[in-house]
Amino acid sequence: MSHDEPMRPRVLAIDDSDLVHRLLRARLRHERIDLHSVLTADEGIAAAKDLQPEVILLDIDLEDLDGFEVLARLKADPITRDIAVIFVSASNETMDRVRGLDLGAVDFVGKPFDVGELKARVRSALRMQRLVKMLAQRAQLDGLTGLWNRAYLDDRLEAETASAIRYGNPLSVVLCDLDRFKSLNDSYGHPFGDEVLERAASILGSGRSPDVACRYGGEEFALIAPGTDLKETMEVADRHRVRIAEIEWPDRPGVRISASFGVADLTCVSGTPTPEKLIAAADQALYEAKKAGRDQVVAANRQVWPRAAG
Amino acid sequence: MDHSPESNETPPLHSTYECDPDLRDLIVHFVDELEQRVETIRSAFLSEDMVTLQRISHQLKGAAGGYGFDSIGDSAARLEYDLLTDEAMVSDLSERVEDLINNCRAAVRPADS
Repeated sequence: MSHDEPMRPRVLAIDDSDLVHRLLRARLRHERIDLHSVLTADEGIAAAKDLQPEVILLDIDLEDLDGFEVLARLKADPITRDIAVIFVSASNETMDRVRGLDLGAVDFVGKPFDVGELKARVRSALRMQRLVKMLAQRAQLDGLTGLWNRAYLDDRLEAETASAIRYGNPLSVVLCDLDRFKSLNDSYGHPFGDEVLERAASILGSGRSPDVACRYGGEEFALIAPGTDLKETMEVADRHRVRIAEIEWPDRPGVRISASFGVADLTCVSGTPTPEKLIAAADQALYEAKKAGRDQVVAANRQVWPRAAG
Repeated sequence: MDHSPESNETPPLHSTYECDPDLRDLIVHFVDELEQRVETIRSAFLSEDMVTLQRISHQLKGAAGGYGFDSIGDSAARLEYDLLTDEAMVSDLSERVEDLINNCRAAVRPADS
């Protein structure tokens, strides 16, 4: 997942009448959104998963399934839970509104639409959605370096491992530790130490687009390289190593920093791969790199492949 | 029961949005399609096809107001309500159906200009 916002927010309308679809399309024509519309609850739930819209306009009285039931299902599924749902209904019953909001809808629009109100409510839902997303992302970013944090790394590595096993794709992990960081801090002070971390992070974070760079802790970083085997990841890590060693420090002539790297892929673990085993293998390799004199990339040992059936 | 026949001379019904350039073409389309809907309502009623009758009244209830024809939406809502209420007899529905049909027939396209 990139840090960038998608260009146009997606809005999904679930309504059993194409008369309403056409109307929404006309009414929201000038909004900066991508409007998708489906006629049934089943299509709607499928499209919500598929499309991952920011906002859903959900008709309360659908023919095939009660709108409340659709909302409950959307809210029960982790994939669709965070989508902002606006209830749309010709019913003016207060109880219906209360029930919809209680089930997790963010808002309610009555039919027939008041154009200004419809637009304003869609915009407000989009605005809230953007803020929620930003907050969620912030909670997963490292404050100093702007890289993903450890919590995100854990989640993402878990997902990438499962997906690599399932589809038989390669997957590598790199652990990177800045060499003699403590003495840098001691000699030049913490502000300089922070600057070093930021510069190293910006190098690690500007690599190939599928790679996921995280701050693992202290002066240690991790890189997840989906779809990449050990050999190729070694090359990737070495390019990072060279760029870090080449950083110039105009205010501190003579200072050179370097980093050591440990790389492991799925062939370096025995038994069924897990995120913990991958990290442990990369960590062992990193230890070897330090022991061998730092400023280098070391691969974890390959385990016998194929693994025992299981 | 008083079954005074509705007058067929419901005054022309203009969309409240007929001057809205975003909606003009849609309203024309909507009005043109009403003719077909009226036919469907009529034949569904005559053949006591309550499923079709309910579907059309449900759709018009939800959409007609959005095209600027509140009275069509209202009469469709009344018909749907009666259809969904078990006690309503088919004969009781004739008034509702006629009311809806008259309203649909009265709808006119936005003037060309």
